Amino acid sequence: MTYDVYMHFPVIAIMTFFVGAFIVTLCGSKEKIRNVVAGLAVLIPLTLLALLIKPVMVDGEIIVYWMGNWEPVEGYAIGIAIEVDALSLFFGLLVAIAVALSGFYSFQYIRQDDARGSYFTLYLMLSGGVMGIVLSGDLFNIYVMLEVMTFAAVGLTAFRTWNPNAREAAFKYLTVGSVGSTCALLGIALVYAQCHTLNLAQISAILPDNMTPTMVLAFALLFAGFGCKSFMFPFHPLAADAHGAAPSSVSVLISGVFTKTGVYGIIRVCYFLFRTMGNEAVQVLLIVIGCISMFVCVTMALNQHDFKRLLAFHSISQIGYILTSLGLCTALGVAGGLYHAINHTLFKGLLFLTAGSVLYATGTTYLEKLGGLARKMPKTTILFLVGAFSISGIPPFNGFYSKWMIYQATFEKSAETGNIFYALVTVVCVVTSVMTLASFVKVGHSVFFGQLRPELEGAKDPPLGMRVPMWIMAALCAFSGLFPNIMLDYVIVPAVNAVYNVIPYIDTAMGADYAATHLTSYMPLMNGQLSVIGAWSPLSWLLLFAIALAAVLLVSLLGRSNRSVTCVEDSKHAVFFGGEQAEYSHAAGGDLFWGFKHNLRHYLGYMSRVHTGVTNDYMVWALTALAVIIAYCFAFI
Amino acid sequence: MEFTDILIYAVYILIFPGALFTCLFGLWLAGVDRKVVARMQKRKGPPISQPAWDFLKLCGKETVIPAHAARGVYLAAPYIGLASLIVTVLFIPLGGLQAFSTGADTVVILYLLTIPTLAMIFGGSASGSPFAGVGASRTMVSIMAYELPFILVILAVGKGMTPDGYYFTFSLEQITNVQSVFGPNIFDWRLLPAAVAMLLVIPCEVGQHPFDVGEAETEICEGPLVEYSGKPLAVFKLSHAIKMFVMTALFCALFLGGITTGMLWLDVVLALCFCTAVTLVSMTLLNAISARWRVEQLFKFFWTVVSGLALASLLLVWFC
Amino acid sequence: MMLANYIGAIALIVIGFYAMAAKHDIIKIVIGMGLTDYGINLMIVSVGFNEGGTAPIYTFGELVSGMYFVDPVPQALTLTSIVIGACVTAMALALCVRIYNEYGTLDSREIRRLHG
Repeated sequence: MTYDVYMHFPVIAIMTFFVGAFIVTLCGSKEKIRNVVAGLAVLIPLTLLALLIKPVMVDGEIIVYWMGNWEPVEGYAIGIAIEVDALSLFFGLLVAIAVALSGFYSFQYIRQDDARGSYFTLYLMLSGGVMGIVLSGDLFNIYVMLEVMTFAAVGLTAFRTWNPNAREAAFKYLTVGSVGSTCALLGIALVYAQCHTLNLAQISAILPDNMTPTMVLAFALLFAGFGCKSFMFPFHPLAADAHGAAPSSVSVLISGVFTKTGVYGIIRVCYFLFRTMGNEAVQVLLIVIGCISMFVCVTMALNQHDFKRLLAFHSISQIGYILTSLGLCTALGVAGGLYHAINHTLFKGLLFLTAGSVLYATGTTYLEKLGGLARKMPKTTILFLVGAFSISGIPPFNGFYSKWMIYQATFEKSAETGNIFYALVTVVCVVTSVMTLASFVKVGHSVFFGQLRPELEGAKDPPLGMRVPMWIMAALCAFSGLFPNIMLDYVIVPAVNAVYNVIPYIDTAMGADYAATHLTSYMPLMNGQLSVIGAWSPLSWLLLFAIALAAVLLVSLLGRSNRSVTCVEDSKHAVFFGGEQAEYSHAAGGDLFWGFKHNLRHYLGYMSRVHTGVTNDYMVWALTALAVIIAYCFAFI
Repeated sequence: MEFTDILIYAVYILIFPGALFTCLFGLWLAGVDRKVVARMQKRKGPPISQPAWDFLKLCGKETVIPAHAARGVYLAAPYIGLASLIVTVLFIPLGGLQAFSTGADTVVILYLLTIPTLAMIFGGSASGSPFAGVGASRTMVSIMAYELPFILVILAVGKGMTPDGYYFTFSLEQITNVQSVFGPNIFDWRLLPAAVAMLLVIPCEVGQHPFDVGEAETEICEGPLVEYSGKPLAVFKLSHAIKMFVMTALFCALFLGGITTGMLWLDVVLALCFCTAVTLVSMTLLNAISARWRVEQLFKFFWTVVSGLALASLLLVWFC
Repeated sequence: MMLANYIGAIALIVIGFYAMAAKHDIIKIVIGMGLTDYGINLMIVSVGFNEGGTAPIYTFGELVSGMYFVDPVPQALTLTSIVIGACVTAMALALCVRIYNEYGTLDSREIRRLHG
């Protein structure tokens, strides 16, 4: 094994965050120095991980770093490993991008808050925890990082002293979230009892052939544990509360990154450690949970009156897409899920940042108190529209491409198995997508369009320091929607191959042929080839669209141009009111979509009632989910 | 790429079946629709060229921008909607003519078709009028209403059975090819409910009476269009007319494809005749005989009856 | 003999979960969290126990054939997990104090501004 300098990059990336966290604390109230330190602490990991794309993604190398050089002895890995394959690097990059952009955004954004010093400490701890989870090759290390991350996230949720709901949200998050941590830890203990190792690679080699009942329990517990961290149904109320209360720059991390660690954990557990994904029962479990998550959360989002809470429900809905797609256990499904994961981080990050800008400019995110901001904040409006079109899957933005892959994957799966269930999953995905669009029409109409509220006369676009990260995210949204081939070749396909073929992951850590001797009944879980059954080339669409738009505009310019523009509200330029004197009126927020809400009023009312906000109720949901998952696993695995 | 290739593409995009032809044929369809409705109601009706004259006249009128409007979005929305519609036409095979059939499949077209409607919604809500707000909300509800049966139809058509076995596809090209070998889908009894569902989806997508809840002149003064005037309004009207063409062409591609006479131009003419026929059946007839539905009735109807038809078709295709 | 430990561990976890699900006093919910933590700690430390084993600390020559020691890894894990558990409890109690200041109650049924 050659020993290159980049072997050290992953561990440096993790440590930079933690060291940065401490140095930031030392800076005290010196804001300039603190910002420089924090900026470096988020940029260095991004650079390091970007440098790893070449060896890991392109050349297919797997980096194993034994902490303290404690390498495995006689086939037993006692030491703690950091193991970076394409899948880990995929999630690592996702984390690094979101952390860097959101970090730069928060320099300006948290000027409103007190206790700014501890903000960056917690922020970097959270980032370090997440990075530690995705790059670690040790199961217990993952748990520790999970707790570090949760701890920092709870702290940041409760951070806004002037937000009256922040403490409540943080408390719920901590208590109900502890079910997830408990499950994960218990699962890890059981796995250790069976395998006497905590190294992911070694467990992946030993476990799949030894699925004792204890291991079924361990699988169920780990699944529920990571599921809780990804806020899948029925753990979703926590996410809604926490995202809504946290500062927007932190919501970006909680929604875009934090939930992805749960997804990452589920991939590792299902595809690597236990390799139960080949079992159709597990696929159905994941798909059903995914479908329920996406549908329930999108309908809950339609019910919301708060911008950020609405976004929070949407992020669980999108996690539902990812889980569904991963549950298909086909190459296209995994690719679609991973693609959607990266897209979700980008567009949801963008949307949370625009929500933050609205909050920054107006002091509220309550839909009924906003309106007409497009005239005061045109740049934010455009950014919001990019995010909204991306999340609701309007071509050619990135959300559409990944959703399109997911539709195909589900339909193809139903072709393979001849089972109509998967085709109905496609239908659920499409319906969820259109409801997503509906709720963003609601947000757009309530916040940015309509008449300007008199009290918002002073609102203006956020400063450049906040806009630049948003523009970068918007550009990335457009890029990953328009150049899917680049994304697939350099990021997605290597990660899918890593999921498809786990042998190199095991052998690189444990020595050659380790997998072959231990994994006797090894079968690839899926066909490794990506095949599509439809056609969509975003670039040619964009080209045609540009030509058509140019033609249309040209023709329209040929005629006489007689626009009448004025800001004076005379009777000609006032809004039509049936001849009456115009007055302020804005149909927005809860008034919208009456026909839809009327038909689903029983369902929506019921959902609204059961989300009581009482910690105990959410605990009961979580425990029920846990019990159901355990029973299901025992029944079908 | 040769110069002649570029020329051919330019003709495709700008003249036929692209911008120019699409606009003219859409306006013609709108004219036919109005004429036939009038005849059905024992009126004389306007000449068939009336929508085209309306369009030209509106283009010459003054464009008033309300004081409360978000100007950029308000002015850009109609043009973006129109351009995206024209591009969508290029992806739908017309007779044997497939301009860019590999550029998009059925699911992509389902999504591309929401862009013009979305442009109308955002354009309307950018105008700042409460009528437009209500209209935008209702239009969105109608999108939610038709999307469920639409995707079910796409899945039912996408899974077909040939004597060689099953095929699963979203590709319009493949659907057309299969039909040219085994006959149009509409003659397949299992797909009949889907065809009926699609016929009902068309007027809802187009926003045609009786499903025009979003525009509802008598209640909310044309909803999203209430503040529009002059050229942007003309472009919206044109988009509406083109949508009729796009949707009927899509119906023909899905259910009436593969009928070939051996000559390309004759096939295209035949396809255009089919488009007109579908327009008459799905839009004109309903337009003439029924009153506007309330928005919650529309939603319920599409999620129960129409979706039920499409689902029945899907189940039949799957299990028979 | 280890069976008693396992039963005890599971019992602690179940009691903890019960407290979190059924008790409306948020302090009791925090106590429930603590109980589950202790249950898991007991579980982990029992996993690594070998009956008759010595402490996993020895120098050369002390360990003779036939002698064995308890697995040290779970003990390390338990220590880590105890520390984490203590931190989580402290954090939760701190939040309880703030919630009491803001809401004037510790009843979880009344701490529900975020709902629906």
